[in-house]
This record gives sequence, structure tokens and C-alpha cells, in this order.
Amino acid sequence: MSLTAEPIGKPALDPSRWVMWGVAILTTVLVIGPIAPIVAQAFLDRPLYDDEATLTLANFVRLVTEQGIGIVAFNTIVFAVITTVVAQLFGAAAAIVIGRTNVPGRKWMGELLVWPLFVSHLVIAFGWFTMYGPSGYLTLMMRSLTGVTPWNLYTLTGMGIVAGLSQAPLAYLMCLGAVTKADAQLEDAARTVGAGPFRALWSVTVPMMRPAIIYSGVLNFVVGIEMLSIPLLFGAPAGIQTITSFLYEEGIQAAVRPDYGIVGAAALILLLVVAGLVWLQGALMTGSGRFITVRGKASRPSTIDLGPWRWIAFTGLFAYVFFTIVVVFAGIFLRASVTFLTPLVPFWNLFTADHFWLILDNSSYLRSITNSIVVSLIGGVAGTALVVIITLIARRSEFVFGRALEYVALFPRSLPGIIAGLGFFYAVIWVPGLDAVRGTIWVLIVAFMVRYIPVGFGAIAPALAQIGDELDRGARVSGANWWTTVTRIVLPLLKPALFSCFALLFIHFFKEYVTAVFLYQPGSEIIGTTMLQLWAQGDNGPVSALATIQVVITAIFVFVARRALGAKIYG
Amino acid sequence: MADLVLENLTIAYGNVTAVRDVSLTIPKGEFLTLLGPSGCGKSTTLFAIAGLNHATSGRIALGERVFFDDRTGRSEPPERRNIGLVFQSYALWPHKTVADNLAFPLELRKVGRAERDRAIAEALDLVEMGAYARRYPFELSGGQQQRVALARALVYRPSLLLLDEPLSNLDAKLRERARVWLRELQERLNVTTIYVTHDQAEALAVSDRIAVMHNGTIRQLGTPTEIYEQPSDAFVADFIGSSNFLEGTVVERGASGSRVRLANGATIATSAAPGGPGEVLVAIRPERITLADGPGENTIPVTLGTGSYLGSVYQYEVSTPGLNFRIQTDRRVPQGDVFARIPPEATTLFLKSEAPVRNEEAAPVV
Ligand SMILES: Nc1ncnc2c1ncn2[C@@H]1O[C@H](COP(=O)(O)OP(=O)(O)O)[C@@H](O)[C@H]1O
Ligand SMILES: [Mg+2]
Repeated sequence: MSLTAEPIGKPALDPSRWVMWGVAILTTVLVIGPIAPIVAQAFLDRPLYDDEATLTLANFVRLVTEQGIGIVAFNTIVFAVITTVVAQLFGAAAAIVIGRTNVPGRKWMGELLVWPLFVSHLVIAFGWFTMYGPSGYLTLMMRSLTGVTPWNLYTLTGMGIVAGLSQAPLAYLMCLGAVTKADAQLEDAARTVGAGPFRALWSVTVPMMRPAIIYSGVLNFVVGIEMLSIPLLFGAPAGIQTITSFLYEEGIQAAVRPDYGIVGAAALILLLVVAGLVWLQGALMTGSGRFITVRGKASRPSTIDLGPWRWIAFTGLFAYVFFTIVVVFAGIFLRASVTFLTPLVPFWNLFTADHFWLILDNSSYLRSITNSIVVSLIGGVAGTALVVIITLIARRSEFVFGRALEYVALFPRSLPGIIAGLGFFYAVIWVPGLDAVRGTIWVLIVAFMVRYIPVGFGAIAPALAQIGDELDRGARVSGANWWTTVTRIVLPLLKPALFSCFALLFIHFFKEYVTAVFLYQPGSEIIGTTMLQLWAQGDNGPVSALATIQVVITAIFVFVARRALGAKIYG
Repeated sequence: MADLVLENLTIAYGNVTAVRDVSLTIPKGEFLTLLGPSGCGKSTTLFAIAGLNHATSGRIALGERVFFDDRTGRSEPPERRNIGLVFQSYALWPHKTVADNLAFPLELRKVGRAERDRAIAEALDLVEMGAYARRYPFELSGGQQQRVALARALVYRPSLLLLDEPLSNLDAKLRERARVWLRELQERLNVTTIYVTHDQAEALAVSDRIAVMHNGTIRQLGTPTEIYEQPSDAFVADFIGSSNFLEGTVVERGASGSRVRLANGATIATSAAPGGPGEVLVAIRPERITLADGPGENTIPVTLGTGSYLGSVYQYEVSTPGLNFRIQTDRRVPQGDVFARIPPEATTLFLKSEAPVRNEEAAPVV
């Protein structure tokens, strides 16, 4: 062989180290960005941009004494507990019935079941309000039929049930993963020692759902604590405040002058509580190896024949899907298309397109739609790029701080949206030079990206683990530096995961609103903030129209992403 | 003159020392095999040479070029070492065709297009895969993938070729043909080659020299004949060809040989005994023991037990009070009492204190 290829002498310009350090520093700054000002504000007696501000602990003292934080904390915990219990019960039950039995219609009901995950809690809360609120369609119908109002959403229990049902899909998805991936041989073994099919399911497979239930349970508890929409829509009219609606009102609504110190202190406490819960979640999951059943060639578990009982199961499942999902979405669509919604007049006599025209004719409402799309597109692409590089550095490089970078990048799991929004809001006023981006969609994009780095990481890291590291090692040996290796070898192989990551980020950004409530200004409004604004004005028709538009765009996006990009979005 | 030199190479992961104080000099053009049971540190050593993992201490240099030196803190990244490496799993990039797999390292070296195409064709012809340039890796059989992997490692004319169990995913028959072919190719290209395997037959067949590794250290370095005929310790004797170990006591020491009383009471002549206590193990390969018609020098009466046919030879368990061992013959022998002769020159003596730990990974006697 007579080749002229010379041994590689002088290295070509190798950007690897620059990329590693650059991304590590950028990520750290972005994650610390919203946290540092909140910590600072919690201990300052004046707004943190005020030069006269001095250190104090008085904010915490005042928080406890003056503001009656006790009742807020109590409400928050009760609300989160009910949310979690309801979500886990419904989610786990649905997972078993859909994942492991021959209940009729399990395929399409399984599809419908995850829909609440695609839209914001604001939309769902509004749907519930429209149908089950004090003058909701079904409420009025029940009252005219029975003479009593059987439910009241404006209580902690009512709020918890609504929040729980909207979070049940998360528990459902995780439990479904656990029950359908369980090794069939384990159940078969139980059958051979004399257990019936139900007994085998109950004694072998259901216990294996435990990690999924615990994991999603803590997640849902955190969601409950940091949820703004339901406490705001259902709690505020009844005077029930949770920590997020407290922060919202204190931070924004307080007409004259927001009390920065109190807000900072409450935000810091919320941050610590959520960080503690996320840590707890990690601690509970260690040593869960004994539940991991997917090893080697595990065969798929069989479905259990329910016999005539399957119609009972079908009725239960259908009622659940119909009354908590179909009706809720239908309520939004219906309310958007009629002048007013009442069971006393057939709704087809009241059809109108006015609400949609109101949205489309108003430049700022329309802008909120285009802003949402732009934020989600740009943010989705930029977020995917950032997350994939972070993941590659953390998992596939010799970068000394690779592990540390992963911890930093995953920290936003502990960052509630309202805190992220508040923190970036403070940061933008606090840090000189950032004034230029204040109130622009760029701040929203950055804040959303930071908040959802962990979501993207969760989409990419497992796919990366599937790519044997000898593929990158082979590239390194044959002369490629780290950056060339990841761009030429690893990224092309990761393509499906990149699409899934983008799709997930798009959906999360498109439905996000909590993070934006402190950050938007006229010009940078997004669908969620406009909905809140219209809601505050009592314009329920236009709110529904906007919600409908959001749902339709999301549905189109999900359809296209699944078909054209082959993205994996929730199963 | 470009010898590869490893000096006192030690590689530790936490408190696990995967490679311990390994020193080796591999002259240009040599085919050296790292042989040892799985987990003994062969791949770790190989990857340290390639720069894919970091040695804890020691020095690696190819001629004048220092790849790694812990004292100067120098560590060349893998992409600058110009090494060809074939992985156990081949590691062909699944999104690139065979030709593109080979083109990638050449592009990185800024080889011009015409020259590149010529080099790719040449390398593929070398491994008899010229017709498959447009295929994707998943469209190839295991043996073909292995050859493409080799072509990819050779196409940029590396100064060193490293092979990590490249044949272990092939079936037995293909493996034997591939190793002959591999050796011929290596001789033709005269490229310094380090070959990793746990298969002693493979190592004996292809290597110029073999380094037998155990628990991260080199236990013996020598030609295949030396390793086979004069194992330097009981582990090597056991691992290479699976020797019998007969317990005994040295009763007479000499410069060229000694006499050992075996556990059954018989005294036999053996090769020279090691210094130290008299309790020894006499290592003797089953195929070196012969059957004799009657009593004689170095011959002990034994009872022939069950036998098994191994394809080309018969192997029998034999016993005498206090001793059990195996013999191999080329014909079937009826069960019963016979005489076994142990040629003194075929024995190797080790101190009993270094009795080998029986290792499941050790290849069976063939
Ligand atoms: N990255 C690593 N981290 C920890 N231990 C390792 C690592 N790589 C190898 N080892 C350990 O080093 C020892 C030698 O491994 P290896 O070189 O792969 O053996 P083999 O001889 O089979 O190729 C093994 O005990 C293995 O567990
Ligand atoms: Mg190995």
C-alpha cells in the first residue's frame, strides 16, 4: 500500500475546548441568572436595584408575622396533596386497564388520555370552569335536573381534583411504561405456581409500578405546589391563596408598589421546598434496581382477558375520559363558538364567530399568537442545540467539569416557573446592560429554555446512551477531534432524538405562561398572558377562542411532528 | 527505528488497578499479542496506547514521539496519534457507507479527492471488499464488517495497528481462516501490530511474541514456542494449553534437572527445580504424557478412567492413589491399568505456593 497520507502533525484548529468551556459557562450563568437575584432580594430591605438597600432578615420575619403565610402554606400543601393523590390513583388505574387488559377502545382512549399534557393548565382550568364552574354548562344542567349543585370547584378539594385530573396523564404514562415493560416471565412464573391472571398482575406487576408511582407522584406534588392557573382561577374568587397565587398577586397585582422583600423571601422558601422535593425524589429512586425488570430479551406481557367485565371497565374508563377530557376540551371549543353558553337555550342557536374575529382583529391579541409561535420555534431550535451540546459534553467528553455541568443543567427541575420568571425579571433590571432585552420575546425565550433544559435532556440522554461509545472512539482514533466527532458522527445518529427534543420543547414553550407573567410587556405578549389578561376582564368568549386556537395549533404541530419528523411525543 | 515503548504503565480506576506497572518494547513490524483471561486489563492497555483512556502513571512513546508521560504531564489526544484501531464490535459508523467510513479519516487528513478515492479502493481491495463500497454496514455480514473495520483502520497508513479481539464475534470456522489472512496481511504491510485476545490458540497461531497478562500485570513475554514450552509460572502453564499439575516434593536438586517424589510415592526425574521450599507442582501437558507397555524410567502405573474424543485426539482421566491427571492419545485405549511415562524435558516445576487459581475463562484443552 503506497499512501501519501501523512501522520497528523500540527492540529487543525480545534474548537472543542472553546465549545466545552463556552457552553459550561453559558449554562451556569443562565441557571444562576434567575436564582441569584431572588436570594439577594430575600435578604434586602429595599428593591435590589436600589443602591440604599441593606442586608436584613426582616423580610422573613414579616412574612411569618404580618402576611399570614401560615394559611397560604397550609392551602398549598393541602392542594398539592389532593392533586397528587387524585393524579396517582387515576393515572395508575388507567395504566393497568389500558396497558394490560383487553378493554374495548383502549387504543383511542389511551391517545385521548394524554391530551391534557399538550396544553397548558390555564386552558384546562378554563375548560373546567366553563363546564363545571358555578355557572358552568353541566353545573346548570345538573341544577335544573336535580335542584342541587353537586360540586363546587371553588374549594381546596375542588381545585385539587381538577389539578389532579389534569396531571393524571403524567402518572399514567410513567405507570404504563412500568406495566408494559414488565417481564412477562415474572407473571408467567406466578401463574405456574398457582396464581390466577389477576392475582399475578396484582402481586407481581403492580408492585413493580411502585417506582413509577413514587417518581411521578413527587413530580405531580411539585407541579401542584408551583401551579398558578387553578389557584388563580378557582381559588382567588373564594379567597383561597396558595404560594404561587400569593407571589403573583404580591408581585404584579399589588397596585401601588409591589413588596419586593416579601416576594423575594417567599420565592426563596418556595425554591428551597421544591429543591428539597426534587432531591427527595432522587433519594427515593436510588436502590430501585430491584424493580428494574427489563433485562435481556424480556418478552412483552400478555393482555388479560376481562371477559364480560371488560364492559364494566370500559364504562368506567370511558366516563373518566369523557367527563374529564372530552367534555373539558369540548367546553372550550363550544364556549368559543357561541355568544353565551347555557343549557336553557340550544347552543346551535347561539353560534357566532365573533370571539375569533375579536382575537384576529386586535393587533396585540394576534401578536400574542405569532409571538407564541416564534418563541416556540426559535426556543425549540436553540434549546435543542443547547441541550444536545450539554448532554454530549456531560456524557461523551473528557471535559473535567462534565458531571458538574450535568448537575447545573438539571437544576431547573427545582425551579418553579413563577420563580424563573421573577428571577429573570429581577436579573434584567439588576444587571446593567440587560435593559435592552427587557420586555422582549428574547427574555422569554431564554427563560423558557433554562426552565426546560431538563425536559430536553430527558429526551436526548437515553437516545445517546443507545449509541455505543466505540463509534465516537473510532472517530477520535482515526483523526477527528471531539467537536468533529460529535458533529460528524454522533449528531447524525441522534437525529430522531433531536426531532423529539425539539417537538417536546416546542410544546412546552407553546403552552408556557407562568414563566412569562413577570417578563412580558406590551409587544411581547404570548397566548397564555393574553388569556390571563382577557380572563381578568371577564371576556370568557375571547379567552375560549384563544384557547381553541392554541389547542388547534398544538394539534397540528403534534400531528406534523409525529408524521413528518417522526418525533416521539408522549408515547 | 520507531519502536513502541511502554514504561511502567499503570492505570487505575478508583481503587481498581486495571493495569499495573506494564513495560514493553515492541519493535517496528512486530505482531505482538496481549493474551489473558477477560478482565485482565488487555483492552485497557490497548486503549491507553490509542489515547482513549488515561494512564495513571508511566510513559508511552512511539520512537521519538511521546504519546503519554505522567512526569511531564504530556498526553497527546487520540486524534493526533495516527493509530489504526479495530474494535471488538467493529464500530463502523452506521450512517455512512463502506466507502464513506473509509473516506472520513482521509478527509480529516485533507487528502485530495482523487488520492482519497484511490486509497479507499486500494484498502478495500486489500481486504477483498472492493465490491461492497456502496453498501451500508448493516447490509454486511459479521465477517465482512470485520474486514471493512480493518480497511478503515489501515486506509490512512497508521504507524500502529491495534486490534481488540477483532475475531471474537465470528463463528469458529471463519475465525480460523480470518486469523491466517490477518497475519498474512500484517506481514505484507509490515505494520507494527498489537493484537488483543483471550483465545490462546489464536495467539499462538498469529503472534511474533505474546505477552500473557493476568490481573493487570504481564506474567510472561516471549515467542509462542517459549510461552508454550517454558511457561514462566503456574498461571501461564495453566492458561496456555491447560497443564496438569502434579504435587510433589523435591528430593534431589541439580543444575540441569532434579528428582521429585510425587504424591503417589513414585519418584521421577524432572527439569530443574526453582529455589525455595521443596513443595512443588510439576506441570506437564496432557499431550506430552505417553503410554508405555511396562514399568520403566519416569513411568508410573495408573488406572485409565473415562475418556472423551476431542476431534483429533482422545483425552482420558487417569488416576493413581493421590494423583489425578489427564493424558491425550491419538488412538482409543481400553479402560484398565496402564503405564504413563512423563518425559523429564516436558516438565516445568513451580513452587506450590504459586498454584494457579483455576480460571473459568481459560480456554479448554484442544
Ligand atoms: N472505565 C472503567 N472504569 C472502571 N473500571 C474499569 C474501566 N475500564 C476497565 N475497568 C476494569 O479494568 C479491568 C480490566 O478491564 P479490560 O481491560 O476491559 O479487560 P480485558 O482484558 O477483558 O480487555 C476490569 O476489571 C474492568 O472492570
Ligand atoms: Mg476487552
